Amino acid sequence: MSLIEIKNVDYSYNDTRKAVDGITFDIEKGSYVTIIGHNGSGKSTLAKLITGLLPVKNGSILIDGLEVNEQNISAIRKRLGIVFQNPDNQFIGSTVKDDIAFGLENKQVESADMEGIIGEYAEKVGLTEYLDYEPQNLSGGQKQRVAIAGILAMKPDIIIFDEATSMLDPKGKKEIKKLMYDLAGDDTITIISITHDIEEVLQSDDCIVLNKGKLFMHDKPQKVFADAEKLRKIDLDVPFVELVREVFAKNKIKLKAHDLEGMVAELCRYRSDH
Amino acid sequence: MPISFRSLSYIYNKDMPYAHKALDDINLDIKEGIITAIIGETGSGKSTLVEHLNALLLPDEGSLQILDYNIVAGQKQRFLKPLRKDVGLVFQFSEYQLFEETVIKDVAFGPLNFGYSIDEAKRRAAEALKLVNISEDLFEASPLELSGGQKRRVAIAGIIACDPKIIVLDEPTAGLDPHGAKEMIALFVSLNKEMNKTIIIVSHDNEMVYNYCEETVVLSHGKIKYHGPTFDLFCDRQKLAEYDLLEPQIVTFRNALIENGFKLSKQARTLDVIAKEIAEQVKR
Amino acid sequence: MNNMVFGKYIPVDSLMHRLDPRAKLIGLFLMIAAVFVPKSWWVFLFIAILITIALLCAKIGIKMIVQSFKPMIMMMIFLLVINTLTIRTGEVMFMIGTYAIYRDAIFNTLFVIVRLLLMISITTLLTATTNPLDLTLGIEWLLKPLEIIHFPTHEVAMMVSIALRFIPTIIEETIRIMNAQKSRGVDFENGRLSQKIAAILSLIVPLFSVAFERAYELADAMEARGYVPGAKRSRYHILKFRFTDYLFILICMAALAVSIASRFYL
Repeated sequence: MSLIEIKNVDYSYNDTRKAVDGITFDIEKGSYVTIIGHNGSGKSTLAKLITGLLPVKNGSILIDGLEVNEQNISAIRKRLGIVFQNPDNQFIGSTVKDDIAFGLENKQVESADMEGIIGEYAEKVGLTEYLDYEPQNLSGGQKQRVAIAGILAMKPDIIIFDEATSMLDPKGKKEIKKLMYDLAGDDTITIISITHDIEEVLQSDDCIVLNKGKLFMHDKPQKVFADAEKLRKIDLDVPFVELVREVFAKNKIKLKAHDLEGMVAELCRYRSDH
Repeated sequence: MPISFRSLSYIYNKDMPYAHKALDDINLDIKEGIITAIIGETGSGKSTLVEHLNALLLPDEGSLQILDYNIVAGQKQRFLKPLRKDVGLVFQFSEYQLFEETVIKDVAFGPLNFGYSIDEAKRRAAEALKLVNISEDLFEASPLELSGGQKRRVAIAGIIACDPKIIVLDEPTAGLDPHGAKEMIALFVSLNKEMNKTIIIVSHDNEMVYNYCEETVVLSHGKIKYHGPTFDLFCDRQKLAEYDLLEPQIVTFRNALIENGFKLSKQARTLDVIAKEIAEQVKR
Repeated sequence: MNNMVFGKYIPVDSLMHRLDPRAKLIGLFLMIAAVFVPKSWWVFLFIAILITIALLCAKIGIKMIVQSFKPMIMMMIFLLVINTLTIRTGEVMFMIGTYAIYRDAIFNTLFVIVRLLLMISITTLLTATTNPLDLTLGIEWLLKPLEIIHFPTHEVAMMVSIALRFIPTIIEETIRIMNAQKSRGVDFENGRLSQKIAAILSLIVPLFSVAFERAYELADAMEARGYVPGAKRSRYHILKFRFTDYLFILICMAALAVSIASRFYL
């Protein structure tokens, strides 16, 4: 049995068009899965369905065998955390430590135990010195780290990142991606990341491509990106390596390597062959 | 020079214990008719600099010449409206400035404020909307019902419709998906090439800056660290390290080729040209 | 907007800062009563001395208190003018041209003004030394008895603390939208009435749409982290009365007693 099983899920906000249209796939425990697709492809809707922020009307979503519905929602919420896109709109407490405490208060953790837990997870995201900071004095990347600490403190099995890096500057993006890769290394945590960042997708175990609400591809990232034409057709970015391969092919040079370094080496070999 | 900064400084919370010099003795001449990028980490003073271009902030020291308008520290400004008409400023997340009932009304709002007649404003609005690829059947829709990418294009149309000579865009691609970002880039390239507008872009996206901006200004802690051709900046590893800038992938590739004994001319800046030049060396 | 002193929290560590917010709230009420009761200048002097001691204990400086008076100056002048025109009892103090200024007019006004200044000082002392969140917790505690009539004190306190948290964000947003509209030729200061209305609309409509978007996203984030309105939650901040808190309240009670006694003996 897979940790998350999504079966024939549909969702529409109003009757005009299905935002999520007959999606079926499984996610294994401990894996790091990225979901890509253009804006409006249904990525965020799917994330909200998995977390129960939107009701599943057609089809079913099972988390560890438990169906996501109103009865099970509080049990499921305890196992699952979500980091949203806008760092400002998920900062609930007045300071870093208050924000980390927010989830613990909901979980009814004893006040005496909170200080220790807060300290532990603030350290994990590298914010030990910022515990008393207010959100307006933190950078976007730091705010997202607070959100992650708040979620980790709840000890979830599954963390969903809903475009968590898209509003950050390069420095913030780097910070958050590094944290995500660290978490992905932990086999007890399953990560689902909705993203536009090709570099990040290449780090993941599996990639799910959505297009107009439908499942378009579900494969290893390398395989997903191998077909540049197919990606362009659904308005997605093509990785730089594939662009290089394409341009050289136009000049009648076939490159087989998977990264730039390999390609340069290949070109060197071609040169010495002639 | 359409824009020249002369020893300009700006201080936030002046006379307060936590005063902060956001711009420090800026001397800068931005060229007419090209796309110039302004880059630098968050808090380096980019947005403060941009706000000066519309007299939203006034210098504490020094002066600023924009087209025919001269702004000197300590002097009262009398030409705010004509200046703001001639320099169109597109803010970050500009979709949040939409407020009228219909798309066309919102785009015509600026031209009306700048004294165009209703008919003229509407005509300009329609033209601008066409330019940003908003189809006519959306003209009467509420701007709040559009998708994120569409909203942003409508907001930019609202600036284009005022017919500015200079267009300044603060992080125009932030938060857009790759496709939306590409459309946005195509839009300001065409504004520059076809309509001959001087474009200034504030961005964190070095790949975009490398590919589309002729010149680049690097700001750090309120000071100008570099101003010159974009290509020269990104090909200089020492400078990239010094200013903590990410190297564009194409430059990484280019450098790797050169280090492995390939010869690339200064013109080999795009993948197409690089591939062509390499192909000649490999097949010979 | 950054120059507003009244109601601003000054984050330093001091004796006053460390007091329990509930003790400070109770103290505030006692001291305001103590300012309202007396009819003697001596009692005002006594209270002023107490406030000065508290200020020194709070490490916030007299300067800030003086600054917090600034917004009231216009009101005080207005009061003085009205009073000199209406109060015509007591002996004549001096003449302005042919107009007589009476002693009672001047003294009554000064009395009201001093009362006002003392009240402002006390309130500023509270807000400057109490973190808004603690203040909310204190108010929530004070409102507790209302739970008998099903008043949702906890939800209200949560609302207030989120509102406080978002004030700086909303101010930033407002400035940004104003700048964006100024760039589109909006003049927020001058213009005909119809232009002014358009200017305000161009600010309010986007501000509301952003605020709603934020509210929805925040609600999702809260829900995702297990918040259920009305459900039982534990507390991170636990308020605890200490010896100094009791002592503080006792001093405030004593001050009130002195001012009440002054009505009978002075």
